Amino acid sequence: MAVKALYDYEFPSADRAENFGDDQLVYVHWDGNPLFCSAACFRVPTAMPFGEFVAGVVAPWAASDPDFDASAITRWRLFDQPLQPADDASLADLGVGHKALLHFSV
Amino acid sequence: MTQAKPRAKKLPLKERYALLTRDLDWEPSYVEREKLFPYTSYEGIKIHDWDGWQDPFRLTVDAYYKYQAEKDKRLYAVLDSFAQSQGHLGLADASYLNAIKLFIQGVTPLEYAAHRHFAYLARYLEGPAPRFAALCQSVDELRHCQTQIHTISNYNKYYGGFHSWSKMHDRVWYLSVPKSLFDDAMTAGPFEFLISISFSFEYLLTNLLFVPFMSGASFNGDMPTMSFGFSAQSDESRHMTLGLEAIKFLLEQDEGNVPIIQAWIDKWFWRAYRMSALVAGMMDYMLPKPVMSWKEAFELYFEDQMLGGLFPDLEYYGITPPRHVEDAIAEKDHLSHQVYKILHNFSFAAAFTTQTPSEEHSAWLSEQYPGSYDELYKPVWDKHARTEAAGGRIFFQGLPQLCQVCQVPMAFTEPDDPTAISFRTSEFTGETFHTCSNGCKWIFDREPEKFVQAWLPVHQIYQGNCGGPSVPEVLDWYGIQDGDNGEYKGSPDQRSWAEWHSGAPKQES
Repeated sequence: MAVKALYDYEFPSADRAENFGDDQLVYVHWDGNPLFCSAACFRVPTAMPFGEFVAGVVAPWAASDPDFDASAITRWRLFDQPLQPADDASLADLGVGHKALLHFSV
Repeated sequence: MTQAKPRAKKLPLKERYALLTRDLDWEPSYVEREKLFPYTSYEGIKIHDWDGWQDPFRLTVDAYYKYQAEKDKRLYAVLDSFAQSQGHLGLADASYLNAIKLFIQGVTPLEYAAHRHFAYLARYLEGPAPRFAALCQSVDELRHCQTQIHTISNYNKYYGGFHSWSKMHDRVWYLSVPKSLFDDAMTAGPFEFLISISFSFEYLLTNLLFVPFMSGASFNGDMPTMSFGFSAQSDESRHMTLGLEAIKFLLEQDEGNVPIIQAWIDKWFWRAYRMSALVAGMMDYMLPKPVMSWKEAFELYFEDQMLGGLFPDLEYYGITPPRHVEDAIAEKDHLSHQVYKILHNFSFAAAFTTQTPSEEHSAWLSEQYPGSYDELYKPVWDKHARTEAAGGRIFFQGLPQLCQVCQVPMAFTEPDDPTAISFRTSEFTGETFHTCSNGCKWIFDREPEKFVQAWLPVHQIYQGNCGGPSVPEVLDWYGIQDGDNGEYKGSPDQRSWAEWHSGAPKQES
């Protein structure tokens, strides 16, 4: 259903991919850890290798939990699909696009 | 020029009202009616007889100003005596003021927005009676905004977080929740606005959105805010009546209006309910002396009074209870805990402070929420308490994922599984949009063209529009000063409070 308006109602999305240049937004959720109220949102280069993403972006955030152990991260999912990421594959290679949601467990 | 003699006897109220409102209306002679009232047809609502609008209060301008002036006099007398007698020292605890910070940052600017939009309705509704009702409400809302500022500014001299609320309302992440709701309503047509604000906000959920702050004030020694509540009470009951009159009028005018109104009720129940989540967190966690739990208030004011009382009446018009209401009922044991968790995770970036519930408070929560607290929420607070006992404080070292519609961090769980976050997504023009619930997803999918424009604070920070990439730069842009934010224990508010109550000689300010 369209917005009811007195004129053609069409406006660009506020967070469209082009607003982020070579970067994109990625959400990361730590499944089953109720210490974190929600998933986190990060801005990262689409070309960033997954290993670097985990070590440099996800781990510092996950370490908000004093019990976090980076070596225990397992079971990545992209939305609802299991993901077996190679550390040197880029986010783009892995199909992790703008505003994608990643899950992991420990 | 001779002065006319004063009239010996006033006209009866009903006649005065008729002369001073409806009889002041006229038929346009040199412009077309559609040009005079350009906004009352495009939403699809059909009105056959604007005079069918009933106004139970029959107020006239002179009577209105007389009542309001009397109420103002009483309120300002209380404020003066409170200020002169250092009344703030009689609060239950300084941490209580976190609720009032949330109020002036989140609610007071909405009063002003309501003032603006009711002024617009007072010009653009076609019938003289609804125009006059909107005019009175517009003036009420301006008075509420002003009296709230005067009431709450008493605390600004002594406590943090009260200084830049207007700027904060436009910029800060948790305040985008109320702001975006009102922006959504104000950018809708005049009839949708009536259903969103007058009906859903002021009638359906007013006892859950507004009243808890006033009862919280009364339980926690906040005489000024309580007096403001009394001063606004008769206005609020007039607004509730307007909300109910508006919906009945629209439903009676044309059968074709019913499905349009139903869809607006479905949308605005969920919008207002999602915003009430902030109030839920406040009620259960921010009041040193709690009034009643969110769950109890929800059951009494919403399930009993609205689902049990109002909706059976509306059934006569073909209106059914709001869509997704069962999801709201399903989460009543969880809502406040999940929301306060957000505030506790992120209070380093808020203009109030938070704290892990004390043992006593935790015992109260456990009593109020026998089905959820001990199992799901207490273990998390216990972990916080252990960390804090060792000198730490856990914050969320990053930014949260927000819901595209309600703009609350995506902290809510599945209606049938309180351990799993509820993630919903929609695709629109090749982009993914995330929503927190069935209700918010339904609202997005109904008007994606509108909600893709949402100014989501987290994404705006990442686009570089909020002062800079680092937390201090963003806080500076928010207008948050050191000490407004973070943990309550050890905060400037708590230290001042302890000093003022230590029996040491009071320093002159």
